Amino acid sequence: MTVERSRSSLRSAPYGRSDEPAAVTPASGRAASPRRWPRYARSERLAPYVLVLPAILVIALLRLWPLLLGVNFSFTGDAERDGRPVGFDNYATLAYDDLFQSALRNVGLLVLILPVAVAFPGLLATFIYLKVPGHRFFRSVYFFPAVLSPVIVGAIFNLVLAFDGPLNAMLGIAGIPAVDWLGDPHAAIFTVVGVHIWATFGMALVVFLAGFATLDGSTQDAARVDGASIPQIIWHVFIPGLSRTIQFVFVTTMIGMLTSMFGLLYVMTSGGPEGSTYLPEYYIWIQQGQMNRPALASAASTVLFLIMLTVGLLQVSLLGRAGRDD
Amino acid sequence: MPGARLSRWLIALPLAALAAATIYPLLFTANVAMKTRREYILDRFSAAGALRTDNLTKAWTSAGMSRYFINSITVVTATVVLLMLIGSMAGFALSRLRFRGSSVLYLACLATLFIPFQVIMVPLTRVMSGAGLVDTYPGLVLAYVAQFLPFTVFLMASYYRTVPAEIIDAARIDGNGAYGVYWRVMLPIGRPALLSVAILDALFCWNDVLIALLMMPSPQHRTLMVGVTSLRGQYSADIPTFAAGVLIAAVPVLLTYLFLQRQIADGVTAGSTKG
Repeated sequence: MTVERSRSSLRSAPYGRSDEPAAVTPASGRAASPRRWPRYARSERLAPYVLVLPAILVIALLRLWPLLLGVNFSFTGDAERDGRPVGFDNYATLAYDDLFQSALRNVGLLVLILPVAVAFPGLLATFIYLKVPGHRFFRSVYFFPAVLSPVIVGAIFNLVLAFDGPLNAMLGIAGIPAVDWLGDPHAAIFTVVGVHIWATFGMALVVFLAGFATLDGSTQDAARVDGASIPQIIWHVFIPGLSRTIQFVFVTTMIGMLTSMFGLLYVMTSGGPEGSTYLPEYYIWIQQGQMNRPALASAASTVLFLIMLTVGLLQVSLLGRAGRDD
Repeated sequence: MPGARLSRWLIALPLAALAAATIYPLLFTANVAMKTRREYILDRFSAAGALRTDNLTKAWTSAGMSRYFINSITVVTATVVLLMLIGSMAGFALSRLRFRGSSVLYLACLATLFIPFQVIMVPLTRVMSGAGLVDTYPGLVLAYVAQFLPFTVFLMASYYRTVPAEIIDAARIDGNGAYGVYWRVMLPIGRPALLSVAILDALFCWNDVLIALLMMPSPQHRTLMVGVTSLRGQYSADIPTFAAGVLIAAVPVLLTYLFLQRQIADGVTAGSTKG
């Protein structure tokens, strides 16, 4: 609608519309003409800067500056050594801290689980793209948990996974003994990651579907005419065609696992039992918020940043699209 | 052909089971929220005896959810309005105006998209407390704006890039300067993108717990999600009320999803297709 309006104004009055006050230059004797807008070139030259200024200020002061501050901060001490340079002491403390080691082990576990967390929604998206009966409904249902807060998801699963809760009751019907999903130090991290995947696979699914929508249908039709089976089409048509999407999902899923599980951990396990469900982000929170060791927390933040950078770069180069242009 | 048809239905079966597994936890929670404590203890799986709202009322009033709800609404509204304004201004300037440093600024903006909050939360808390902004509403709003601004700018810029140049030229010829083009053309034209970005920012903001925990330590300043986490300890012996609190916190998101699913999906996938 708006587009139409601007077009019609172009047609009816291409020059010298002076009903907009900004367009009139009072000092000028001739009729105000937009051709002469170098007249207020000064304010025009400044305009882009004025428009970006608020955003740049916020980003520089509250995102870039803290990043530098944090790296710098990680080389200073806590408590009685507050503000004094301590070299790599904080990093040494991290290396010997059982909880941080647990957090790093769990990151390793996340990396191992990652292919599953990508392939699962990918396969579901394939079925939905191939218009399995009820595909619209499935898409809506699967995507829903992705918009819920981890806090709400965690609270719901506190009830569902309780020792006397519905999941164990269902397993009981099947004759499987009850599992202490959140209380067993060997099971808890798998439980939390499982819940995270339950809550987020819909996000990856929707991204995959957007990728499918950009595919050229003719290759697929040609493959079908040639008698290719569904697995062959997936392997030879979909996967090559979706390489960018797959890469995007790999990176965002990993980032999601490293940075958006705090709510779940906070509500479901508080890092326990026995520190078995720590992740770097939870460790940072505990050191900063509970232990009052901000410098140590900063060191952990820097490590987390390096992990994310490594994971991101590794995946980009592994998937062989490092040199793509944009 | 009939074989292919049959196999399609066979695939639909596990998908339906998965859909059930996706919905069931929510239905279970809603059902528990309708139960009396006695009903819950005797049998937590059966359907609630009646559509009771006692627990919802209790969670809303005595558990303080009403207060948290208002806090969340206030903070989310302020954040989203600011984000739309600042984000669209910067998105327009960075995508459609040529000026010295524009590409560097745009790249800087994109790069900060990949700085997670966890990485900067310690120094950010310091900066905020140095400015006296910790435990204040402006402080929390500012923290959210900073967190979601790069994404907002990116989305607005990629939308504005698709606006045909003739429209901008026409507005210029009509005598509009950069501000006029922004206010009279780009803001109205950008409505679909603004709506999409506003919904997503509102969701992120509504769902956040970490930033709110750090920036708003006082109990009376709790946002709804922080409120839910505190309910757990408070009502560990009264699970139906706890479930009711969870339900209250989930309902606004549920409604948003029912009506605006399309915009949400468009927003999340924007980054994947526009690179």
